[in-house]
Formats: sequence, structure tokens, C-alpha cells
Amino acid sequence: MIAIIDYKMGNIKSLENAIGFLGCKSCVTNQADIILTADKIILPGVGAFDVAMKNLKKYQIIEPLTKAVFENNIPILGICLGMQLLATLGEENGLTEGLGWINGTVRRFSFDDEKIRIPHIGFNSVDYVDKSPNLFEGLTKGADFYFVHNYRMICEDNADVSSWTYYGEKFVSGVQKGNVFGTQFHPEKSQSNGLKLLKNFISLSRDRVSC
Amino acid sequence: MLKNRLIFTLIYNNGSYMLSRNFRIQTVGDLDWLKENYNFNAIAFSIDELVVLNVERKHKNIDKFSDHLIQLSKNCFLPISAGGGIRSLEDGYKLLNSGVDKLVVNTPIIEQPELVTELARTFGNQCIIASIDCKKEQNNYSVYIQDGSKNTNLTLEEVIKKAEFLGVGEIYLTSMERDGTGQGLDMELIRKASHLTKLPIIASGGVGKYEHFVECIKDGYAVATANIYNFIVDGLIKARQFIQKQGIELATWDYHLTGLQNYFKNNNQVIKNNKTEL
Repeated sequence: MIAIIDYKMGNIKSLENAIGFLGCKSCVTNQADIILTADKIILPGVGAFDVAMKNLKKYQIIEPLTKAVFENNIPILGICLGMQLLATLGEENGLTEGLGWINGTVRRFSFDDEKIRIPHIGFNSVDYVDKSPNLFEGLTKGADFYFVHNYRMICEDNADVSSWTYYGEKFVSGVQKGNVFGTQFHPEKSQSNGLKLLKNFISLSRDRVSC
Repeated sequence: MLKNRLIFTLIYNNGSYMLSRNFRIQTVGDLDWLKENYNFNAIAFSIDELVVLNVERKHKNIDKFSDHLIQLSKNCFLPISAGGGIRSLEDGYKLLNSGVDKLVVNTPIIEQPELVTELARTFGNQCIIASIDCKKEQNNYSVYIQDGSKNTNLTLEEVIKKAEFLGVGEIYLTSMERDGTGQGLDMELIRKASHLTKLPIIASGGVGKYEHFVECIKDGYAVATANIYNFIVDGLIKARQFIQKQGIELATWDYHLTGLQNYFKNNNQVIKNNKTEL
């Protein structure tokens, strides 16, 4: 069973649809007992960094989530804002501390070139780094995924980066550290490319990713 | 590299789909009709984004619209934007809980500006699309709201600046005169808007043949078409191929019209081919 974390940060339906389509059960939840016994956890999210952290605290999700990931070794996938929350610090609407599971800061895109429009919206190529396990297994390097964001993560340690994408600059589009995974793009909105990645995440065996 | 976007727009009216010409609407069929006649899942796999606009003229029933979107989005794994009748933050939540990723606003930009700001603050500005309906009058573009029935008496520049100020993240720009005519997009309007904003632009109104996509997409704009008759059977798939043949890059993915579900259930082997198989 996949626990999809519910903290009122939008658009969970399509993730549920995608997981159901792949023949897997999911549960939209903020209950500690369900989070702690899930096979996998997905942290989705659309919205602002500060509001998201506030909501994670409000629904008392941080403690069970930390325990599930670091004591029970449950693989977690943060998507879009969900990935950004894995960072140490976010700069959206003032400085906010993130979960701090990946060393990095989340900053707004800033380009001198007038032609580069923000937000970054649309399908863009994702160049993945060969990792084990590899969420991109079965996909070619440069496969297209759907992005829609203003902010991106800047990682302190490139070893945590699982994929890069170019938009006015080379930025981190995926992170991976032990059993913690994140994608800036939306796999649930990336046609069959995204379904493949989700399938790979769902199929991870827990001992393969344990630290 | 960021790919160009080919977008399909469904015009929704009280459970049915419509054809629009200069904003006059005519019923085509309901969701079952769409699924039967169009193999909707195939359409969904041949476009980059889907937009669904509720054009109910009197009372826009957001609950019924949301229920409909849940059904529609069930086997669609692409970005979906929806709007028409969002009059509160609660309405925004309803749509976003129905498989929708982005909210489209039109009338509130003028009549409920504080709502647009609230939506953008809550869901992020990447989540809010300003739909701007334009009509050329005496060599200038006038902007209309309320399904094209009310002139705002504001210029295109004023409305774009206002929408930007309120915090929208994208502009869905429609030429009312070209809407449904198939005469081609109003490139003058699109270029004008593009000089006024740094936000991404989706151009709509007037696509009648594949060349119309190309002339707009090659300049980096996303293009939307709402004309289902022009794109009957595999029209959108062919449009995609046509655009790619002109050397314009579109996103690619494996395309399995039938048996996608089985494909994923049984698929444990490494798939090397990542080309769009059409």
C-alpha cells in the first residue's frame, strides 16, 4: 500500500489515478499508523513552500514521516513541492526551514534573458544520473517529463542529484539519497514516461534501498 | 530543452461538449459520446495538455463540473487545466481535488481581483491561468469577460498587467473573431501580448489546419485548439507528426493506444525505445 500524504496541498486525485492504473493500492492519509506501516510513501504538493511546511506541522505529519523514513526505512518520493520540502531551506515568501533530508536551498528561478519565461511550464528533457536503484530504469536519458514551477532546489552535494534539466541554466530535477527520492517534475502528469517512473518507484524492494 | 506545447481544449456546458464559433456555442455530445466517437484516451495521449472550460451561460454549477472532471481525468496522465465559474477559494479546491492541476480564471480578474490573488497565494502562481478573450475594435483589442458577453472597456495591456499583478502564472489568449472559424490564429494579437508580458502564453482561436499550429508554435507559444470536428479520429496524432516533421520539437513518450494497462502490469523488462509510437 502506498501512503499519499494528505496535507491539503492540492491535486492528489491524479496521483491516486496513476497508482491505481499501475495496479497498486493507495491511501490518501495523514494518520501516523498508516504512514508508519506503508510500503511506500509519496509526498505530493502544489503551492507555496511556507504554507506547505506550516500544514505538515499543523497535521502533525513530520514526526511520523521522519520515523517512517529513517527508522522503518520506507522509501519516500517527493513530487514537485514535495521534493522541495526535502531541502534544508526554502526561500518562498521568506525563509522557511524544510525537512532537511537533502542538503540544499530552494530558490526562485532568476534570468537576465527576457526571453526565458517564468514559470517553467511544459515537458522538458530529464538527464538522469546512473544510480542504484534507478527510478529511470527503462527510460532513455533525456526523456520528457512535465514541469510547472517557479522555484528549484540548489543541492550542496551533487551526489544527492539523480537528474538534471536545462532551463536557462542546468538545474536539479531529481534527488536521491538512500531511501529518499524526489522529482521536481510531475510523473503522474508525464504520460507513459511518468507512469514508468512511478512503476519503478512502486516496485522498489525495501532492502535494496536501506541505508 | 523545453518542448513546445500542443493543447486541446474541451468546451463544457452542463454535462455536454460544445463547439464554439465566435463564442456562440452548439452542443456536440456528452462524455459517453466523446469516449465512443473519439477514443478520448487516444486524444489524451497525443497532446501535451488538456484544458476544460465551463461555458454554462447562466449558472455555472461547479459541483457537477467537478464530478464530470473526475470521470474525464480517470485515465488521463497529462496536465489538466479547468475553469469557468470559480468564484471562491473553495471552488478552486473542488477543481484541484478532481484531477485538475491548474485553474483558469476570466471574469474574476476584473470582478473579483482579490480572489485571483488569494488563489495564487494559496496554490502558487504557476497554478493560475488568466483566460483573456479579445476582440479587435477600431484597430485596438478590447477585452471581454462573462463568456465574451461583457466589454471590460480595458485595453489588452491593462488586463495583462492587472492579471500579472494579481499573481497569475500563465495567459490563455483567445481571439473571439477567430474562435471556431478555422481561419488561422491572430498572430498580431499573440505577438502584441507577448511584448506585454514575460508569462508563458497559450494562443487560441482559429486553428483550422496543421500549418496554423506550426506558424505559432515555431515562435515558442503553446497552441490550443477546441475544434473537435477538425481533429476527428486521429487528427491530433497527425497534427503532432506534422509539427515534428517541420523540425519543431515536441515531447515524446511511448504511445500504446490499446493495452496500456496490461503493458504496465506485465512490464518488468527494460524498454529501450522511447520514441512516440503512433
